[in-house]
Formats: sequence, C-alpha cells, structure tokens
Amino acid sequence: MTTQTAAAADRAVEAQDIRVRRLPSFTLAIPAWAWLLGFFLAPVSLVLWYSFGRKPGLFGTHTNDELSFDRYREALEPAYLPTFINTLRIGVVGTVICLAIGLPFAYWLAVKVPPRWRGLLLGLVLVPYWTNFLVRTLGWEIILSPQGWVSTTLMDLGLRDSPLSVLYTRGAVQLGVVYNYLPLMILPIYVAFERIDPALREASRDLGASRWHTFTRISLPLAGPGVAAGLLLVFIPLMGDYVTATVLGGAKGNMAGQLVASEFQTAQNWALGSAMAVLLIIFIGVTVAFFAILWKSLSAVSRARRGVIVIDTRGGTP
Amino acid sequence: MNHRRRPDLLDLALRVWGVLCFAFLFLPILFIVIYSFNVGRLMVAWDHFGLDSYRIAVQDQAIRSAIGVSVRAAIGASAVATVLGTLAGVALARRGGRWVPLFVGLLGLTLVTPEIVDAVSLLPWFVWLGADAHVSIFNHGLVRLIVGHSLFASSVVTFIVRARVAGLEESLEEAAADLYAVPWRRFVDITLPLMMPAVLAGALMAFTLSLDNTIISAFVQVSGSTPWPVYVLSALRSALRPQIAAVSTLMLLLTLVALGLVALVLRRSGESSTQIAEAIAGV
Repeated sequence: MTTQTAAAADRAVEAQDIRVRRLPSFTLAIPAWAWLLGFFLAPVSLVLWYSFGRKPGLFGTHTNDELSFDRYREALEPAYLPTFINTLRIGVVGTVICLAIGLPFAYWLAVKVPPRWRGLLLGLVLVPYWTNFLVRTLGWEIILSPQGWVSTTLMDLGLRDSPLSVLYTRGAVQLGVVYNYLPLMILPIYVAFERIDPALREASRDLGASRWHTFTRISLPLAGPGVAAGLLLVFIPLMGDYVTATVLGGAKGNMAGQLVASEFQTAQNWALGSAMAVLLIIFIGVTVAFFAILWKSLSAVSRARRGVIVIDTRGGTP
Repeated sequence: MNHRRRPDLLDLALRVWGVLCFAFLFLPILFIVIYSFNVGRLMVAWDHFGLDSYRIAVQDQAIRSAIGVSVRAAIGASAVATVLGTLAGVALARRGGRWVPLFVGLLGLTLVTPEIVDAVSLLPWFVWLGADAHVSIFNHGLVRLIVGHSLFASSVVTFIVRARVAGLEESLEEAAADLYAVPWRRFVDITLPLMMPAVLAGALMAFTLSLDNTIISAFVQVSGSTPWPVYVLSALRSALRPQIAAVSTLMLLLTLVALGLVALVLRRSGESSTQIAEAIAGV
C-alpha cells in the first residue's frame, strides 16, 4: 500500500465518520418508530375516533357524522356493565391467586433450590409458558370435560354421582386464567429474588432476626420491583383475555374481551365495539393506578415504621 | 440458634409447594399429549389408544395449510421484528438522546395494550388501507398476519437487544475506531457478534410469539390464510377431534427444540440461568 492510498483511505474514513456523526441519534430507531406509528398508534387512534361515532344502519359498521359520548353510555348500560365488573373481578382475583401461588414458588426456586438445578427447573417453568396458549387451555377443557377421564374416574370411584359440571362456568375461567398467566408472575419475582445477595440474608440472621423477619424485612422489600412487574404482567393481559374465556367459559361471553370481539365480528357495530375497547383500557388504567398508589403509600408507611432501609448495592436495578 | 433446626419443616413445605406447582403447570399439557393418542370421534372423550390421529393429521389438507400459514407468518414476523428491534435497541443503548423517553413510552404502550385492542384496531385499519387507500398489499392475508404479529415482538426484541448492548463495554468499539475501522465495519465486526445472542434470542422469541398468536390472527386473517391457532379456535365451535391434540403435541416438540436452541446459544455465550430466563421470557 502506498502512502498516497493510505492517506486517501484516511480521508475516506474521516469523511464517513463525519457523515455518520451528522445523522441524528435516533436514526437507527426510525424504522421501528415508523412501523409502530403506522400499525399501532394510527389504528388505535382510529378506534378512539370510531368510539365517538355511531352505527348508521343494519349494514353499516360505523359513521362519524355526529360525534357524541353515546356509545360509552350504551356500553355502560345494564346489558354490558356486569360483564365489565365480572372481568374486573376475574382479573383482580386471578392476579391475587397468581401472586399467592407464584411468590412462594419463586422464592423456593431462587433461594432454596441448589444453583445447579435452577437452570433446569426454570426451563421447566418456561415450557408451559411457551406452549401454545390455546392448546394449554384445551388441556383444561379435556380435564374439566363432563365426558373426560377425570369426570368418569370420579364417578367410577363413587365420589360423584353426576358428571363434572365445572366447564363453561366462571370458576373454570378463573382457573384457566390463573393457569395461563402464572408463569408471568413467577419469572419476574424469581429474577428479583435471585439478584438479592445471599450475604444480606445471612447478615440479617447473624444479627438475630428470625426467618420470618428476614423474609419480610429483607427479601420481600428487595424483591418489590419484581413483584410489581409480575402483578402488571399478569393483570394487564388477563383483563383483555378472550381465548381462555371463550374456551372454558363457553360462548356466553362473560369477559370484556369477548364483548369487544363480538361487536366487531358478529354485531358489526364498530362504534360500540370501539367504545368498549377504550373503556377496557380505562378500566385497566384506573385499576393499575389505584393499586400503584395503594402500594406506594403502604410501602411508605412500612418504611416509616421499620426505620431502616435496606439497599442492595450489588444487585442491579431491575 | 433454634432456627437451624426449625427450617427443615419450612423447607419441606416449600419443596412440596414447588412440586405441586410443577404438577399444576404440566397437568393440561400432559393431558393434551395423552389424548393425542386417543382413537375416537371426539378429542375429550377417550376411546382407545392408537396413532390414528397423527396419521389423519398429517394427511389433512386444512391442517397442513394452517400450519404452513403459521410457519410462514412466524418467519416473516420474526424477520421484521428482529431487524426493527435490533436497530432500535442499538440506537437506544448507544445513541441515546432526548427522544428516548418518548420512544420507550411508545414501546411500553405496545406492551401494555391488551391484544384484543390491537386486534380490533388493526381490522378496520387494514380494511381502510386495502379498500379505501388502495394499498392492495394489505388485502393479502399473510402480510396482515406478519404486520400484526410483528408489533408486540418488535418491542420485545428492542428491549432484549438494548439490555445486551448496554451491558457491552464500549472500549472495543472505540479501539476499532482508533484503528480506523469505519462505523459500518465496526458494527459488523465488533458490535454485531457481541450482541448476537440477544438478537438470536429475540428472533426466536418473535417466532414463537407469532406461532402462539390467536387473537390478532383471528381478526386480521382473510379466508385462505388461516393460521393454526385460528383453525383450532374455529374447530371449537364445531367439534374438537383428536387430530388437534396430535398436532399440538408435534408443535410442543417444535417449541421445545426452539427453546433448547436459545438456551444453548445463550449458555455458550456465558449467560447465567437467570439471564437466560430473562432473555427468553423478555422480562
């Protein structure tokens, strides 16, 4: 290579560096940005717009010739409101049950199980999580079915004199959602527990704290962000669930997701369906905000009572 | 120190709880696998053992076409999400600025919006684009599925890649720059290989998310391009045959292989089990 070409290459490099530096810092994010604007924000805004319109006649789906809040009023009428309330109840109860099952389980996995087994067991938790959602739910349909093996066995053993009648009830939907979203509760809590330095627990015990106190004052507060993440990861998709309720709850439609779907697919009333979709988001947002404020004030109170704040400087911020 | 002796009972209780949880998590999957060997007219009513359902499933034209659509949509959605997410993740980790909170807010919004809302908003949007705006590509079933499946997945890939790139030392890239590597070569020779595990994990995750997607698919699909989950959903309204369990079992095996691959890739790049779980679960 001659000096001349090397110098030319140098200049080329400099030129390119300058050119790249002149590009704004968000250049690489532009494709994703545009994609989400075009296929997420725009359509969702369109639904918001439709929700102020009305269904023009038997064959139209929507018109925005006169804008009003009437569709919201319609969606909150006695015909639909119980479904929203029911959805909220299934959502809150389901999230609490997931927490009750997932918290001890995640603690056991992250703290009690020897490290060499942890990877494998965690993989086992991921298997149902990655099994098709619909298929998992069908598994429950087999289990709960009146003609199924469980039902006939119970009858053969004389434990029941009529076939199992759990399927297509709210109980079945409740069981189904707890099952379907449980891994989403376990994973973030597991990660939070695993990140806590074991030395902190040892220090707490060396200082004479009981196991219960060590758990409630050291482990649990430090795992707080993981618990909060788990609650959100379970509650939000659960509220919008449509598949579990359709498979295990029958076609009666006892969750808001089914209401929205049927307005779009069957009734062809896009205006009302849109208003219901917006209401669903509002319900979720208000509930999350309510519990977030409750969480904040409760932890402030308990911190004030405890008087000590444990900060694990070695664990990263999750 | 009495807590040295007492814990055994508590530890035992936790272990029993752990085993019970695993039983709960695997119960329905076990039933699907068992009932895939059911020879009978209905899936839920056990008749006798046999491999008939697998034979019928493999020969069924509608099932084969549904799985073909699912796999093609998953490849497409995974490709789109991986490219968009990788670029965005690198931008977030390396070239932050005042745009970051706004962008992260948008990504967060895609993650917390219930899927049913995405689904009902995409349907009129595609109808409008295809019929009123005359962008006829959006009348194509596969295109609709790929677009619909790529939204959530793009955000997930972005976060996975951002986490990985943010954890990489910039010194290697700076060294390459000092040695006159142009930015493009710097990216291809240094940054890309280092962040490859995250990109692969993200791609496989986008693939699985797409295979799994039921709600968006049910709304945006056009007849002739019905993906597998929507086929199952519509079979619910008539009758569930054992073939559905058979195909589900085969798909489960496929998912397990994909998951194993991700874990292997991540393990070889020296991640801990927690990091692997985080990457795979996208949390």
